[in-house]
This record gives sequence, structure tokens and C-alpha cells, in this order.
Amino acid sequence: MKPTLILVGADKGGVGKTTVSRALLDYFARKNILTRAFDTENPRGSLRRFYPATAEVIDLGNVAHQMKVLDTMETANVPVTVVDLKAGNLSYALDLFERIGVLEAARNGVFNMGLMHVVGSSIASLDEIGEIAKYLQRIQYIVARNFINETNFFEWDEATTRKYFSAIPKAQEINVPKLNEMAYEQVDVAGVTFKDFIENRAADGSQGKFSFVLRGYVRKWCAEIDAEFAHVQMLQEILTGGRQPGAH
Amino acid sequence: MAQAPTLYITCSDQHRNGKTFLARLLVDYLMLDGRDPFVIDTDAPDGPLRAYFPGRTALADFSQISGHMKLFDTIIGAPGRDYVIDLPVRHMEPFFKTVAELEFFTEAHNAGFRIMVFYIVDRAPSSLKAARAVQEFPGIDLFVAVANEFVGTSWPRDEGALVLPDLPRNLAIAISDKRISLRSFVLGDRQNLPESQINVLSSFLSRTMANLSNIEPIFSMKKLSG
Repeated sequence: MKPTLILVGADKGGVGKTTVSRALLDYFARKNILTRAFDTENPRGSLRRFYPATAEVIDLGNVAHQMKVLDTMETANVPVTVVDLKAGNLSYALDLFERIGVLEAARNGVFNMGLMHVVGSSIASLDEIGEIAKYLQRIQYIVARNFINETNFFEWDEATTRKYFSAIPKAQEINVPKLNEMAYEQVDVAGVTFKDFIENRAADGSQGKFSFVLRGYVRKWCAEIDAEFAHVQMLQEILTGGRQPGAH
Repeated sequence: MAQAPTLYITCSDQHRNGKTFLARLLVDYLMLDGRDPFVIDTDAPDGPLRAYFPGRTALADFSQISGHMKLFDTIIGAPGRDYVIDLPVRHMEPFFKTVAELEFFTEAHNAGFRIMVFYIVDRAPSSLKAARAVQEFPGIDLFVAVANEFVGTSWPRDEGALVLPDLPRNLAIAISDKRISLRSFVLGDRQNLPESQINVLSSFLSRTMANLSNIEPIFSMKKLSG
């Protein structure tokens, strides 16, 4: 099947971008799909802390690093590549990918490509969507509304939202559900994947000493994320190996 | 064979019907029976049970996640003994909701616990309905309906209930004193109770303790009948 490149980005920091990247990598791990991950938060990507074996820190402006991600898409034999874009770097990255022909290749079907755009609750988040719309023709675009560590209040009204979304043909929306702060913090402190936390496995592979209660809350949260991801077409195509569900 | 460690959960949907008194009786009964129960009182910050059982009571505020951790993590982290969990009315529904979300009873079974719920069903039909809902909750090994004679019950007579005999008001007040130990009383220490009350309390405790000691045979019968 064709490999899939998933960009995870946001134009401002602190909206839970890396959390969404982690949720994605975890999701694929639970579904036994191999992934590669690149963190563009050079030189100190936090994604690498959680996925030392999978994630690599790169500088997107560096041509050698661009090659490491893009030229190996087909040869790596890994169906999913996740790139966690540095906060505030979304427009820059899309512009760069447009210039070096990545978006064009995706539009021509060389590989599948999706952008998961993590947005916070403020109206400024919608402006970001307007700014990047021009890059998104025939690219799967998923807006992830992040509730994980914020209020559950979104300033968006229906009419404004529609105005922005009408410019993007393949847009889907998901909600990243709220996770109890204490549980979130414990996973952070432990520096493990959500999956390992649930299974009570420490970063070095030994038996963990994580709270049963907090593990339970993380497990419930993962189930909620799964339910959200279940209606994202791009992700489901990866799980079914590009086939339509039910097809032989 | 010694009985397996057990989680005893006392609860009710109504206030002031003797739930905490029941938990207290249960702890005293278990200790007299040679068990080593630990009490988790989720009625923080009041925690009336702590005054009766200092040194074997933890207070957990179930309205907080930290309280969930204190309750569930304590139990999972230290299996192999009995626990008595007293749930105030306001925490009963959240408790069972959280148990379901965390799959706590499954984990407790894996840790070797049996789960028994003692539910005081009072006269209101709504109390019977609420009790039925808890009775149906998955993972409970034994559901014990409790009829407190002082408040009455809507629990059907033919289904059997653990009976808490009526206590004269002045005696109930006298033994609610934190300094009174029911266990010591059973063991012969009269603790300066007036002569007139001693026989009444003796009779109350012997009936109650006998009723509680019938729980194990009921449990075994239930297991045998599948």
C-alpha cells in the first residue's frame, strides 16, 4: 500500500500538538501498525522522550533532514510517518513543502498525505485555518479541537466555522477529549507512551508503579480517542491497508 | 479454608438511616472474628469512622481524583486483607460510575478480593428501586439488603435481609460516643454504661453479630447454587 505522511501542526504553542502526535503514534501501536516519527522541535523535541525508538529530531530547514523524511517514504517499509511540526511553524512548513514539491507529489498520489491541525479554543485558531487553506487542495485535512487540558468552551460559532471550512474540500473535525490533569501529568513524569502507562510498564520496560486509578482514566481517554479516530477517513484507510472496509 | 479477603461496601440512597453505624458494627464484627479490616471512609473531611477505629481508617474525599486514588490504589496496592468502605449518600452514584469506568471490580477480583455490598433499604419505594440498581451492578459477589428496624424497609420480606434490630434512642446516643468500643463491650468491658442499658445492648449486639455471622454461610450457599 501507499505510505502515508501525517503532519501534526499548530500555529501557536501550548495547544496540545505533541499530545496529539503521541495519541496518533499510540493509536497505531495499539493497532499494530508500524510508524516513524519526526520531531521538528530542533534540537530538543519532546516527542523523542516518549518514543525514543521511533522518533527522531530534525531541522526542517536542513535539506539533509528533509531527505531523511521524504526520500525514504517508500523505501522505509513503514506505512505511517508522523511529523510533529514545531509550534508556530505550520505555515512555514506547508510553504516549504509546496516549494520542494511534496504537496504536489501527494496530490499526484505518490503517497497519501494528511494534516492534523491542532487548534485551541480561541477564535485566532480559525484565522490559522484561513491562512493555510490554499495549501490544502486534495490533502486530507483534520482539525483536532483540543479539550485535553483546556476549558470545554469554544468561541467558534457555526457560521464563522463554515466560512473557513468551505474553502477546504477534504476537511474533517475531531475532538481530543479531556484527560484528567493528574493522569496527564503522571504520564508526562513517567515519560512513557499512553499504552505503556495503561499496561503499567515503566520507560525501561520493567513493571511500573503507576496508579491503578490514573491508568484507568488514561485507558478511558484512549478509548474516547479511538472513537474519534474511527471516523477519520485517512486513519481508517491506513488500518484497512487502503482497501474499503468489507472489500476483498 | 480461610475466607478470601473481602471488600465490604456499605451504602444507601437515604441519609440518617444507620449506614455508618452498620459499617462500624461490621468492622467490630470482623475484628472479633480475628480479621484485620482496614476502613476507608469516603465521607471526608468528617470521617466519623476514624474516631472509632484510629490506626485502621483512611479518609478519602471521593469528590477529588486524589480521593479516588487513595481509595482504589490503597486497596489494589495492599491486597490480602479486608476493607470496609463507607460511602455517604452523595458519593454512592459517583462511586459506582467510577468503578465501572476504571473496571475496578475486575481488578479487585484479579487481586483476590470478594466484593460484598451492604445496602440499607429504607421504607421509600425509591430506596428499593435504587437498591435494585446496585444489586444488578456487575461484579458484586454478594449483595446484602439491610433492614434497619428503626427506619423500616421496603425490601420484600421473602427475599431476606440482614436485620439491624431497633435500639432505644438513649442507648443509640450513648454508644455513639467515640470512646465506646462495641468490640470491648462484647469482650466484657462495660465501659461505664448504666446497668439498665447493659442487657439491651448485649441482646442487640448478640443478635446483630449472629446475623452478620450468617453472611458467610449465605455466601457459600449462593456459590454452591451457582
